Amino acid sequence: MRHPVLGLVVMIAAASLLILPLSAHHEITAKFDPAKTTRLQGVVTYVDWANPHVHIFMNVGTGTNIVNWAVELESVIDLQRAKYTRDTVKPGDTLSVEGILARDGSRQVWGNTVTLAGKRILNVPEETVNRAPGGPAPRWPDGKPRLGPTTGTTGYWARPSMTILAENGTNIRANKNGLLANIADAGKVAPFQPWAKDLFELRQRNRLADDPQYLYCLPPGGPRQYQEAYGVQFVEDKDHQRIFVFVGGVDHNWRLIYLDGRQQVGQVRGDSDNPLYYGRAVGKWEGDSLVVDIKGFNEKFWFSNGGLPHTDKLHLTEKFTRTDANTLKYEVTIDDTGAYTRPWSSGWNLQWVAGEELPAFYCQDNRP
Amino acid sequence: MRHHALGSACVLVLALGSLGFGQVAVQGTGGQGRGTQEVGQGASAAPAAGGAPRGGRGAAAAAPAKPTPRKADGKPVLGTGTGEAALWLPAGGGGERFVNPDTADPSPDKLRISEVPMLPWTRALLEYRLENQLEPHTRCKPSGGPRQFLTPYGVEIVEMPDLKQIIIMDLGGPHTYRAIYMDGRPHPANFQPTYYGHSTGRWEGDTLVIDTVGFNEKFWIDRQGTPHTEKLHMTEKLTRTDYNTMKYEVTIDDPGAYTKPWTSGFNFRWTANSELFEYVCQDNNYAPDLMVGAQEFVDRTSKIVP
Repeated sequence: MRHPVLGLVVMIAAASLLILPLSAHHEITAKFDPAKTTRLQGVVTYVDWANPHVHIFMNVGTGTNIVNWAVELESVIDLQRAKYTRDTVKPGDTLSVEGILARDGSRQVWGNTVTLAGKRILNVPEETVNRAPGGPAPRWPDGKPRLGPTTGTTGYWARPSMTILAENGTNIRANKNGLLANIADAGKVAPFQPWAKDLFELRQRNRLADDPQYLYCLPPGGPRQYQEAYGVQFVEDKDHQRIFVFVGGVDHNWRLIYLDGRQQVGQVRGDSDNPLYYGRAVGKWEGDSLVVDIKGFNEKFWFSNGGLPHTDKLHLTEKFTRTDANTLKYEVTIDDTGAYTRPWSSGWNLQWVAGEELPAFYCQDNRP
Repeated sequence: MRHHALGSACVLVLALGSLGFGQVAVQGTGGQGRGTQEVGQGASAAPAAGGAPRGGRGAAAAAPAKPTPRKADGKPVLGTGTGEAALWLPAGGGGERFVNPDTADPSPDKLRISEVPMLPWTRALLEYRLENQLEPHTRCKPSGGPRQFLTPYGVEIVEMPDLKQIIIMDLGGPHTYRAIYMDGRPHPANFQPTYYGHSTGRWEGDTLVIDTVGFNEKFWIDRQGTPHTEKLHMTEKLTRTDYNTMKYEVTIDDPGAYTKPWTSGFNFRWTANSELFEYVCQDNNYAPDLMVGAQEFVDRTSKIVP
């Protein structure tokens, strides 16, 4: 997830000699303008230590000219991994902040550098992703690979090797949120129908600001859940022939893949049921690969990083292969005659994060 | 603990009064569009696997009381057995309570409000919440404690002995879950408070005892708004007294809000031929601006949960 950021962010950063934070969980340039830098000193009035982003409020100025600013920082999850806690900064502390200003002119700043008593704090170091293969994939007694941790261990899947959904064979550069390095690449990402290409480009030009996952905390259906910042976990309930997929981010959702041979129909009125965020998913093992077929999606969410459109005709075929203990190969074929001119395929690898529980991130944590 | 900001909460509630009402009304309109109101729909809202109609509220009482199912090791099966599809619903339906009002009939398992040993601020906040049902759950927050079991859609209890976890899958809410660690691990030091806290479980005879600490203060532990603080230490006891009945007892030990620990509870009703479905609270919630805090009137500096 946190490999060096490519693309637009780097171009902007280079142009303005800024180094942007690398791990914000969603596109901060949608809200903040990297070209508008500032430096503030103030006295902390309140610390809102909550996901999705921590906010520190501080009074800036003297005498009758005191105004309150909001300094926005990384998520609680990221800051805690960097060993900071909600007591790192307390009301009354004097902070120096270097950052970039909100585009709307409000008194909000994204804190690139926060300094307390001469010491830099609340920075999230870049994570190095070691993609070296591990040992052989662990297996169940029935010989099938295990998609989750073995008894007595913990771990989950994260750090996708690709952060946008782009057709196999393309070479599209995008940052970790799927924001294109070069907007001229928009039409090359997938075999779009014209309207879908226009909508994708619009979402990109708006710097992903319209993303329902961040605006309304709506679920990441489809391939997107395998590109999330806080990973996924598989819980294989062999006893009931089903697999739970747990999503670390957004709203820490569960969803189900049924392996019990059922039809892909709604639970109440079959195809008349409302379409779903996660669709109706059935799976089966083909050799060492789990093959999942999903249809019945609604259109209320973005099914990929970067905002590729889809319609309720979306039909996905996914293939999961644990090629070694540390690597999960994800392959997906997108068949959506409403948005694309032909079926097309993409895929990436996920990395095993050993020894940690899946993060419990709730998008709405900092809302009253 | 956070009683000193009632004033700002009042301002918030005044600003949001009409919105809040709307949220309560739409709470039940989730991903599959089942149901339209929360109260009293427990018998009809959830789907039936395979299209079979599900029993109404009275069905559980009418069913013969089969004995508690057991695993090979003799422990009761709390979750869904092999070949079964079932949910646990509050026995009293969507209107089930954790604490009874003083006007209700006495219940052997349930305290009345006046019997709960509240600190003065706790009682004031509860009275305020009873008047202003602006519950975080209606804004799609996860709901820990007894509240997790108090939605009309129920929960599925998934026992994963291989993982040494028991996982409780929410249905009515933001489509999330709570893990109970059965591997003997302690609660971690410096745990960042969360909606569900950190839960560890153990067996005492036929009863699963769950010990939870590390709650945040951003949700209500029941539908009426019984307050709690971060000091809450909760002990839940789950006993499947017969096939169709789970006895649920909860001890609330929270010196931030109460003068002494107290215990209340209710029963869950086994609801066969039902299974998990996609209910996403955010799907049709009319308060996205409230959820995301995009509006000026959302006072994020208030420490109180209205």
